Formats: sequence, structure tokens, C-alpha cells
Amino acid sequence: MTRHAAIPTVPESRPAAGVALLSVRDLHKTYRLGRVEVPVLRGATIEVREGEWVAVLGASGSGKSTLLHLMGGLDRPDSVAEERHPIRFDGRPLSGMSAGELDRYRAESVGFVFQFYHLLPELNVLENVLLGAMVLHGRFGYSRRRGALRARATDLLASFGLSHRLSHRPAEISGGERQRVAIARALINEPRLLLADEPTGNLDRETGRRILDAIAGVRGGPARTIVMVTHDPEVAARADRIVHLEDGRVVAGSI
Amino acid sequence: MYQALLTRKYLTTKVMPLLASLGVALCTAMVLITWSVMGGFLRMLTESGRSLIGDVRIVWPNTGFPYYDDLIARLEADPEVEAATPLIETFGIITLPDGRTEGVAVRGVEGPGFARVTSFAETLWWKPMAEPLRKDRGGEDPRLDGRDMWRRLYENGLALTRPDPETGEPKAAMVLGIEVTDFNRRTRSGFYIPMVIPQQTAGGGLTHADVFMPLQGELTLRVVPLDSRGRPRDVQTRVLPVANEFESGLYDIDRQTVLVRFDALQSMLQMNEGLRLAEDGPDDPFAPGEREDRYEVDPARTTAVLVRGRTADRDLAGFKARVERIYSEFAAAHAGEVPSPSAIVIQTWEDANRTMIAAVKKETALVLFIFSFISMTAVFLVLAIFWAMISEKTRDIGVLRALGAGSWGIAWVWLRYGAAIGLVGSVAGGLLAWVIVTNINDIHDWMGTSLGLYVWDPAIYVFKEIPRRIEADKAAFVLAGGVLSCLLGALIPALRAAFMNPIRALRFE
Repeated sequence: MTRHAAIPTVPESRPAAGVALLSVRDLHKTYRLGRVEVPVLRGATIEVREGEWVAVLGASGSGKSTLLHLMGGLDRPDSVAEERHPIRFDGRPLSGMSAGELDRYRAESVGFVFQFYHLLPELNVLENVLLGAMVLHGRFGYSRRRGALRARATDLLASFGLSHRLSHRPAEISGGERQRVAIARALINEPRLLLADEPTGNLDRETGRRILDAIAGVRGGPARTIVMVTHDPEVAARADRIVHLEDGRVVAGSI
Repeated sequence: MYQALLTRKYLTTKVMPLLASLGVALCTAMVLITWSVMGGFLRMLTESGRSLIGDVRIVWPNTGFPYYDDLIARLEADPEVEAATPLIETFGIITLPDGRTEGVAVRGVEGPGFARVTSFAETLWWKPMAEPLRKDRGGEDPRLDGRDMWRRLYENGLALTRPDPETGEPKAAMVLGIEVTDFNRRTRSGFYIPMVIPQQTAGGGLTHADVFMPLQGELTLRVVPLDSRGRPRDVQTRVLPVANEFESGLYDIDRQTVLVRFDALQSMLQMNEGLRLAEDGPDDPFAPGEREDRYEVDPARTTAVLVRGRTADRDLAGFKARVERIYSEFAAAHAGEVPSPSAIVIQTWEDANRTMIAAVKKETALVLFIFSFISMTAVFLVLAIFWAMISEKTRDIGVLRALGAGSWGIAWVWLRYGAAIGLVGSVAGGLLAWVIVTNINDIHDWMGTSLGLYVWDPAIYVFKEIPRRIEADKAAFVLAGGVLSCLLGALIPALRAAFMNPIRALRFE
């Protein structure tokens, strides 16, 4: 409890609202390092409602990123009994989805924001943002919607103050700008769920604050539901609700 | 769609794929140049072979067969036959003006008829030239001097005659392969310069005679006639003037073959029509021990008839069958006097040159196999480069998976990229090969004049020029092979990328 004493209290004026969009129950994940099995998540349980911004707060190695990857369908939980689906998105069990369905889920419903931006260095800002749309719509679908998608990408980037950077490569812009490009990329397909992994972890305090402002601004659009993992209590304080992850379990703040 | 974008970006922003494309281009160019030159060499060889014997030949060697005029008339009456001509083939010995003696293949030909069936007229070397040979930039070929002598030599060669210096009457003459005498020096520009002939004096010394064979040269020819049953008779010797020389393009032919006017050789071989002593006559029953001389009419004979077809280019086998049918009719009309259809040898030009063509084909295939095998390095080059690139791009692969790209979509990025490198490399290699092959003789000349490096010296090799034509089907095959090689090289790295764990990929540093 001492460890959590410094965590700011989530304001009571921001109650969770809506129905559960993402449901995680008794989630286990073990990684194998050589001959050693390392349990990372040991029965984590969390429920995220539609339109909610949840911060998952935990120390390094607590399993925050693993939880995010599992929520995003990038990885699969440890095998469980068939009827027990530990992760459900909008009622649909992720563990019941085929690889192709998980790809579709990520492309359509999830937007990822990473700590180190992960922009493709060969592409310019606009191309990086359009990449997600290209993946989702395929060659013909993208070609049909090209104009609308470019307009949307341009608008998104404009809303993040990047209109003048469209043709710049990632190496030619600042860290804060890169992260805003990454957020724009995550939002291009209007996902219902935004998963942010330490989005300010690589930025200075002021730039990090602006990024959090940008993420907060996202809530006005379709991606109203945000799960953000961080080790920084001040960053977590921007969320509607904070859950604490410790040794692979949610120890406080879960619903 | 993202695959196309990434392929374009990776191709235009990275140095490694350009190096891979360069490797593919060089391999493609190497195979295509080799195939074009070797294939061109084979084509020149076969075309030369055809130019010497026409499309089909009917052969009964050594003794020959009679009534060939009737056979030629029957052949030329057929609408599919362009022309037919008799040919006598034998072996002989020639004595050169400098005293050397050489064994040669002797062919008796009727000049104009032979020219209608074969490319004899084109192969005659000493003739007037309006344009210099392509490599003769200085115009040093003696045939370019515009003298009327060249026209007369050409006409002499075509008729296989040379005017008697005293009477002016045309005399039966020989046309020699251009390399037979060693009295012509082949220059690097591909033309010949007649040389001064060394001659032995009566006292055993050596002098030099400025003799140009087609004008003043004479040779002594010795042949062994055979009777109609193949038994040798007395050696026949005759001094014959030289009318011209020919260059067929095949060194062996040009080195070892002499053409003699048909009637002259027929006469020397006693194959012309005449009353001849029947050597197998029975003993006189009234005078035991003495044999009565008995004479019989021996019809004129030839050892071969060459035939040129109107449509043989399209259907050589069909034309051969037609000739066989005509010969069967001819044999039926002269039953017992000419070889039967089952015994006579009827060959297409391909059959006749099969051994040589097969040898060159095998050599071409072997060289191509070796170079194609070497070109497989392109596969490993692409594999190594892609393996390194995928390691470098591990995090990007994780990002793409996070954006929803599927495993096969990721694999397609790299396969497409490999195909693009292959396409760029192959097209560049094809263009490089085209430029080199098209200008191979100029490049070779430049190497010779600048570096003193004459790989293909026309003074040594009989072909004046290196074959310089790229065939579209071969180019397409090699280009497709280049693309496929790159796809093959990209396959393993592509699969590695496709099945990479996205979490590990995202965490890759």
C-alpha cells in the first residue's frame, strides 16, 4: 500500500460510463526463456467500458505491455478450457478467432501507439499514417477510397498540428511530432479501441503533456475507449480510471 | 497496397537492393551474352552447312549411280523442287606451286546449277566489292579497287573455268577453299591478302613468285577412279588452273575442299559415259587361257544429287519424304541399274551435319549450364541481402502486424520485393547484354587496339565476326529466369518474416 500512496486519486467526477467493450478475466500468460518458464500475467482481470480511458499502472516487468499486446490480439493467452475465453471484445472472444480474424480485428478495431513511435523510416509522415488504411482496405479497397482516406489522414495530421510535415520523413521531425504521427496512424481506421504503450515514455515532460492532450482529444471521435499502460503515476492521472498491475495481477482499481 | 508502397520505397531508398539488382543484372547479362554468342555460332554453323549442300542430298558414294540427268529432270518437274544438281565427291591429292602435297576432299560441280542449289555464288571470295567489310574501316580490302579483274574472276569461279592464256578459250578449272593453299593471309579486318609464293628452283634453292592463284596459279590434282563395281583403276593426274577461291565460313571445309568442274572430274574418275573394257569377261572357250576383250557402254555417273526445295524451310522432313518418293519412281524406271530406294542414302542438310551440329549444341548446353549454375549465386545473393534486411526491418514487421497485416501479407512484401529486384536486375541485365552483344565486335576491336587483347582473332577463327544477335525468346527465358531466381532467393527470408513473432519483432532492438 505504501507503494501506491503517491498515486493521484482518480477524480470522482469522471465515472466509468457505457457497457463493457473489453473484458479480461483471469488472464494468464507465460513466456519461455530457454528451459525456464516465466509467468508474466497470473490471472489478470480488468473490464474496460465503451468510452472509458483506463490507465494500467505498473512497474517495469509487471506485465503491462504483455496485457496490452494480448488485448490487441498480437499474442494469445495461455491455453485455457475452450469455454473460458479470457479476453472478449464487444462480447466476441479473441481466443476463438482465427489468425485472419485477429488480423482483421487489429486492423479494424484497434489502434496501437508505441513508446518509440515505430514509424517506418522510409515512408513520409502522410504515408506512415495511410499505412494502416492500406492494410485494412487492401489494394482495390484502398484505390477506391484513396481520395477520402488521404483527406482523412491530412485532416488528422492537421488536427495534430502537422500539416506542414506531410512529406517529411520521421528522421526529419521531432520526437513529439513523431508520436503525434503515430497517434494519427493509430486513428486512421477509426478504431473503437486505442491501445497506448507508454506513449510519453520517450518524451520530455512538456512534450509528453501535449501528447496526453492529443490522446484526450481523441475521445471526441470514434476511438473513445483508450487503454494506456504507463509506469508514471502523473501520466496515469490523466485517465478516467487507473488499475494497478503487480506481478501479473491487477491489485487495485479493477472493476 | 502497402506491399507496393514498401517495395517501391525499399527499392529506391536502400543501397543493398541496388547491389542485388546489379548482381542479378550481371548474371542475366552473362547468361544472355553467352547464349546469344554460342547460339549465333551454332546458327552460323548450321546455315553454312545448309549453304553447302542445299536442303536434301541423294548419295551413292564412291561408285556413283547412272541416269542422274533423268533423276534431276524428275526432281525439277516437281513443283516443290526449286533446283537439283549433280555432285561428285571423292578424295584426291593436290600439289601446290611451292611443292607441298595436300590431301583434299574433291567435289565436282556444275557451277551455275550448283549455285542455284547452294550458296556457292555468295561464297566465292574474289569478286568486286562495292562496300568494305564492316570491320575494314580503312577500306584496305583489295577487292574494293574497282578493277574489272574481280568481275572476271567471279565469272570464272562461277563457271569453274579460266581462259587459256594462249587461245583465250575457257578451260576447266578449280575453285579452292580459301585456306587450302596458305597463300592468302587473313587480316584482322576479315579480308584476305594474297601472299608471295615461295618456289623451289631447279638447283634446290628457293625463290619467290608473285603469283595470284586465281590469275596465274595452277595445281596438280591426282584422283583414283573406281569402276562401277568399286574396283580402283590407275591414278589419274591433271594440272588444272585455279579460277577462284571460296569461303564457306567453315574452317574445315575451307581448308580441305577443292571444287572442280563437274565434267572434268567425271572424266578423271572415268564416270563419264563411254565404252569401257569389261574386266570380268569370261575366258574364250575356244582359246583357253586367253580372254576376249569385251567392251560395254558405261553410262555417266554421279555420286550425289543435291536438291533445293521451295518450302523446305517450313517442312524439311516433308520435303525429304517427297524427294524419297521421286527417287522411288526413278529407281522403278531404272530397276537393276540404280541403287534401290532402300539402299540409297537420302539426307537432309541437318542429317548430313548432325554430328557437327550435335557437338556444338552439346557445347552450347554445357557452357550455358555452367554459367547458369554460376548465376545461381544471384539466388544466394538475394537470400543473404534479404536475410540481413529482414533483421534490420524486424521492428517494421512488428508494426505492420500491429496494424493488422497478416503473415502472408508480410511474406508478399518480401516476395514482391524480390521479384522487383529480379525484374529491375533482369531488365538491366537484358539491356546490358543487348548493348554488349549488338556492339560486341566494336568492343572486341577496341580491346584489340587499346589493350592488344584479341580474344576472337579473325586471322585465326574462320568467322569474320562474333555473332551479334539476341533472340527474343531466349531473352525472355533468361529474364524470366532472373526474376524466378530472385523469387527463390527471397522465399526463405519472406517465410521468416511472415512467421516472425510480432511481440518479439516489436521489442527487437
